[in-house]
Amino acid sequence: MTRDNVTRGTHDVGRREHRSVSRRRFLAGAGALGAAATAGCLSSLGFEEQSARVPALVENRPDAVYHPTHVEAMEMVGMGSAGPYGVALSYSFPHRFWTVSGTDTSKVSIGASDSMHLMASVWHEEAGVVLPSAAASVSVSRNGETPVDRRPWAMLSQRMGFHFGDNVSLPESGTYDAEVTVSPPSARLTGAFEGALGEPASASFDLEFDPETVRSLEFTQFPEKAGSKAALGPMDMMAPKRSQLPPAGEFPGDPVGGATGSDGSDTARSGDGVFVVRTLDAPPAGADGSGTYLVVSPRTPYNRYPLARMSLSAIVEGGGGTRFDGPLVKTLDPDIGYHYGAVVGDLAGGDELTIETGAPPQLARHEGYETAFFGMEPVTLTV
Amino acid sequence: MVRPRDQGLSRRAFVKAAVAIGGASALSACLTRESGPDTPTDASDLPTGVPDPSSLPRRQHAWNDALPRDDHGNHVPPSHRVLLYLDYAGEGTPDDADRETLEAALGSLERAYPRTVEGSDTRSSGLFVTISYSPSYFDRFDADLPDSVDLPEPSALTPFEDPALDTPDALIHLASDYGSVVLGAEEALRGEQGTLNGVDVSATLDGVVERVDRRTGFIGDGLPADHQDVEGIPDSEPVPGDSPLYMGFESGMEKAQAGEDAVTIPEGPFAGGTTQQVSKIDLHLDQWYEQDSRSHRVASMFCPAHAEEGRVEGTGENLGNTNGVVESGCPAHATEDARQEGVVGHAQKAARAREDGDPLLLRRDFDSTDGGQAGVHFLSLQRGIEDFVVTRTAMTGSDLAREGAVGRQSNNGILRYMTVRRRGNFLLPPREHRAFPTPEPS
Repeated sequence: MTRDNVTRGTHDVGRREHRSVSRRRFLAGAGALGAAATAGCLSSLGFEEQSARVPALVENRPDAVYHPTHVEAMEMVGMGSAGPYGVALSYSFPHRFWTVSGTDTSKVSIGASDSMHLMASVWHEEAGVVLPSAAASVSVSRNGETPVDRRPWAMLSQRMGFHFGDNVSLPESGTYDAEVTVSPPSARLTGAFEGALGEPASASFDLEFDPETVRSLEFTQFPEKAGSKAALGPMDMMAPKRSQLPPAGEFPGDPVGGATGSDGSDTARSGDGVFVVRTLDAPPAGADGSGTYLVVSPRTPYNRYPLARMSLSAIVEGGGGTRFDGPLVKTLDPDIGYHYGAVVGDLAGGDELTIETGAPPQLARHEGYETAFFGMEPVTLTV
Repeated sequence: MVRPRDQGLSRRAFVKAAVAIGGASALSACLTRESGPDTPTDASDLPTGVPDPSSLPRRQHAWNDALPRDDHGNHVPPSHRVLLYLDYAGEGTPDDADRETLEAALGSLERAYPRTVEGSDTRSSGLFVTISYSPSYFDRFDADLPDSVDLPEPSALTPFEDPALDTPDALIHLASDYGSVVLGAEEALRGEQGTLNGVDVSATLDGVVERVDRRTGFIGDGLPADHQDVEGIPDSEPVPGDSPLYMGFESGMEKAQAGEDAVTIPEGPFAGGTTQQVSKIDLHLDQWYEQDSRSHRVASMFCPAHAEEGRVEGTGENLGNTNGVVESGCPAHATEDARQEGVVGHAQKAARAREDGDPLLLRRDFDSTDGGQAGVHFLSLQRGIEDFVVTRTAMTGSDLAREGAVGRQSNNGILRYMTVRRRGNFLLPPREHRAFPTPEPS
């Protein structure tokens, strides 16, 4: 069964290849080229070549994480500080990707005028951990014009993990001023994050744009592996920043429901997401209540990236009744990492714990993640 | 939907451009162009206004009875707008001579043009004028505003906005279906015109106030589509030809608006007045039009149920005089939608802020191309600024981002497509106190 069968529908809202060029863009182009540009001339400038480079999607994509058809090198624009945050700005060749609205995905195709896929990673400098709960806006300007001013999508990719990204169009080669503004995370903040991260903060970068540099980024295809149940590994560049969650075997707390092996084997799976479930004797500072704190850490298989922006609930049944029935709260904690948690009171051996997914992760997806983490069935564990 | 391209610059596009530019030459060009087959009454042949401006409603914001209505009974807002931000030119506080000059200048506009222009079978808006005053203005006086007026300094209201705060003393809002009328009124206030529509302009504001900012805009079917070649709108000309606003949907339906009575200050020396909040908002609609699906746009603007059930046709004119979110129980479902659907709608969130089922804000907002940027001048009237804060907080939906699967801005109404650049709060006094009021008028 393809994922299309389990969702309400998919849309392809990619930019129309045949769309006309507006007066504004036309004039910008004509000025740069010194020639009478027409709507049809883009192909002669090499834009078709760009799109042609990207291989077709594999057929029969599994309802699971799969190996993408290709990977491109990434060019680092720079790293900077924005208040308590570290920010890295980078770009690669324009990508196709999918936005997510509820259980619908919309494929965004590469547009004829797309210059690059611009990406920002945001982490907490002191904790060294990527923040999958913040929001970012990006503006790119030059000579008083601001061709890019938007909030890039919160995205998941196999090489980068959680980041912000979008395909953007720049009118011409040159040095642009890029500014990334980080908004406070929306998740509950606990531990050392409690009461912190309340203010927006910005970092600025010089963005050198040359289409030739973008075009010449290394590009590798995987005709054999494409479509198989596997994933590309995380990129080295992000190594100092923890974009991956700790393996199950190193995760804090007491395991719930059996296997937690030192080999990092996982307690439960749903929709190809891996759920690590733990209890702590007390909630972290910043979470109300007292008693056993239930921690659920859903992550991608292979790379252990957090599955952010989903909604989870827990039901605990035992002792002849329902001990707990309520939402698990999105929580950002420097020690536990991004997780979903709630104070559930006292648990007893034999209690049955059910974790239900409401909306699946509302994250845009790079190729290889767009069919996974939907149709997530309840997970049931015995304490 | 693809809208046929106009051949050349359409009449209304030309008029909108002239309003944005302003000045005598724009006015002259505008008068020449603004007589056409779809003009209800020729702009150069409008009737004059009232002989005695004090016969007009006490409430400056009492526009509804004078506005045209559409087929569904919605009030149709005036198409062309100018906001003039003014500082008092003198030192200290204005005196009675300044008051007389200002009152005479405002009154001359009302004698020159009627609020309502009755055509043979249509009605249009002649000229509406309001003047309002900021907290900075009242700081000029030793006395404080009475407790019956809720007018704090403007402030940032979300964790992700950092607007510049407007502190000019006063704000004049000019509104008309005729671009030449707002331009002419502005020229008259500047002392550049001796007569307006054949009426002597008895006083000007030259020397009494200094203009520190000028913002312009428009609202109405087709105007946004005619002006989509600006930053913030993708090049594919995606704005529907029949949309009154850039985002492609109807807005300001009767049942989503507070009534004029409800926003009126009920007691104290400013009884009959109201408060006015104006935010200058940039729009970023590349993703909205190029990457989001129609279904997502409907869910984000209205409510997930509207998308699921296909309730919105085109720009949503089929909805009539209500956006339908309350009737569908959307506000009560906001948290559940954030958790189960992964999307919440803008109207759905905003409708959580109601008093006895009625909205708190009377919106008189409009779109703009100021600075070559697609934007909104979000002008709202409410009894006190706290009503705006409550509504804005409901619309921000931080509670939904925390409890549900939606982000602070992603899938959380239309927040990801807008940035608040400036905000100001103002008191719109009743007519008898509209000229340089003291904080304690008698």
